[in-house]
Amino acid sequence: MTDKQLILVVDDDPDLVESVSMKLESAGYRVGKAYDGIEAMDRIKEERPDLIILDVMMPRKNGYELCDELKKSDEYKDIIVVLLTAVADAVTSTKYTHMEGKSTLADDYIPKPIELDRLMEIVKDQLQ
Amino acid sequence: MTTEREHRGTVPPKILVVDDEARIRDACQAVLKDAGYEVTVAEDGAKGLACIEKTHFDIVLLDLMMPSVSGFEVLAKVRALHSDTVVIVITGYATVEHSIEAMKSGAFDFIPKPFTPDHLRVTVSKAIDYMRALRDIADTRSRIRTMIQRLSDGVMCTNQENRVVMVNPAFLQMVGYTGVASAMDRRCDAVISIARIRQMIAQTLAASGEDTLERTDEIEYGEDAEGQPRILSVRCTPFRDHAGATMGVITVLHDITTLKKLDRIKSEFVSRVSHEIRGPMNSVLMQLQVILDGLAGKVTDKQQEILARASEKIRNLAQMATELLDLSRIESGLISQEVEKIDLSGLLREQIEFQRPRAEAASIRLELDAPDRLPPVTGHYRNLEEVFSNLIGNGIKYTPAGGRVKVTASSDYETLTVKVADTGIGIAEEDQKRVFQRFYRVRNEQTRYIQGTGLGLSLVKKIVESHHGRVKIDSRPGRGTTFSVSLPCAAA
Repeated sequence: MTDKQLILVVDDDPDLVESVSMKLESAGYRVGKAYDGIEAMDRIKEERPDLIILDVMMPRKNGYELCDELKKSDEYKDIIVVLLTAVADAVTSTKYTHMEGKSTLADDYIPKPIELDRLMEIVKDQLQ
Repeated sequence: MTTEREHRGTVPPKILVVDDEARIRDACQAVLKDAGYEVTVAEDGAKGLACIEKTHFDIVLLDLMMPSVSGFEVLAKVRALHSDTVVIVITGYATVEHSIEAMKSGAFDFIPKPFTPDHLRVTVSKAIDYMRALRDIADTRSRIRTMIQRLSDGVMCTNQENRVVMVNPAFLQMVGYTGVASAMDRRCDAVISIARIRQMIAQTLAASGEDTLERTDEIEYGEDAEGQPRILSVRCTPFRDHAGATMGVITVLHDITTLKKLDRIKSEFVSRVSHEIRGPMNSVLMQLQVILDGLAGKVTDKQQEILARASEKIRNLAQMATELLDLSRIESGLISQEVEKIDLSGLLREQIEFQRPRAEAASIRLELDAPDRLPPVTGHYRNLEEVFSNLIGNGIKYTPAGGRVKVTASSDYETLTVKVADTGIGIAEEDQKRVFQRFYRVRNEQTRYIQGTGLGLSLVKKIVESHHGRVKIDSRPGRGTTFSVSLPCAAA
């Protein structure tokens, strides 16, 4: 089982996490779930994921903060981060906004509402 | 003004004739009564004085040469008691110099004896006109004065020497003038401590003849009742004499603190609401996708069809929330700061590729005719992207299968024009203006099954206008529609 790649899905909306998880699992990935940035860090420490699908707007610790933290740490900087964000929110943070949220720190970006097929393409591309 | 005159006209003007010659008194009385005036006579200066003290006359016909109390004494009394009473001096040819003396003391005109009835009528009628004009001016002045004093906006008028000619209490309160002395006639820098307003007044005053532009600005000054900074809109307008020379500046202050606050609250509210709405809708969309993908069990064809339609509706709602958010951002001016130089031909190419799958699915040819290099425009990338994604998307949506959507870009040195032309259902003339209104959608049997938010084109217009550009529409029902967007090229 451990040869299956692990993807951590982080969003404060449990329904969204469930939907994304079902899609990923159906494609053969293992899925971890977390509902805010702090919980996500706990999961990462338990088992290092290959890729994180990370929502931006979350309570306690938001996606930008977690992404920054990971990319600045020696241990976790290689984990692939795909940011999940509503297009219009991209305007709010200049650091991540250029070209619709494609940050220099995150590896990729997918706008909400998420097209599941598009998400799968990104995940596949990034994990190759 | 006319109505006032007419109203006054219904009350006959009161005339007093003071003359010691009975012949003159009788003649004046007869002529003036015939002309519709109310006439009182006095046979000497003393009686004249008594009349004046008792009653207000519009006109006094006054003989200068009378025994005991002279005409000059009566004239002085009239001037002292009733400044608006018009005095006409009656005098013999031998004493013309007295008449001139009398006019220097405030008489309006004189009639030399002997005079004809016509001469009397004309002189009196002229005096009545003069009196009425004076009263109109006095009334108007008093009305304007009261109006300005009572305005909640601050108004100040300064002259060429930058001295205060007129100022209302609201103005003094807004600029925090606490001087004990009246602000009238003082230099404006002694009244206004706010440097920016003083500067604007000086610039307006110094502006040349052709520069009739008023100067406007918003400044923060002082605090409102809640201790929040107060925001004043300042408007300085030059006023000129009949020859066009600047005589002074009128400065108007308007407290827009509440307006600004409401605007911010509105934007925050819209932004909040659309966030709150979009979140759950996005989540529902994904749940529907999971079901449609069969990940939650087998889906029948009928279920598939219903869920697909439900998804389409919710996607449309989510889009509406996004567009509302964008509109409120543009209206609040939030995006204007983030501008860059943009290559539109690249942007259009990307948009065409992005929309191609949709066009192909609908069997519509999508074409782009743009030079490799276009002069850059200054703007907000994502917003301009939104403009063309809306226009191209609309073209595809409202064009039947087998049709064509063509995007053409061209430029002269100053303007860049992008046309999005479709061969679709077209827009009736009466709808062409209204399609830019928020939430307006053309509703007929052809558009019934086309999803839309009614916000796309109003967003397009807002964005283009915020880029100092224009959107034009050219359409014929059944033939197709062309939207033209022209944007100013960026300065080299």
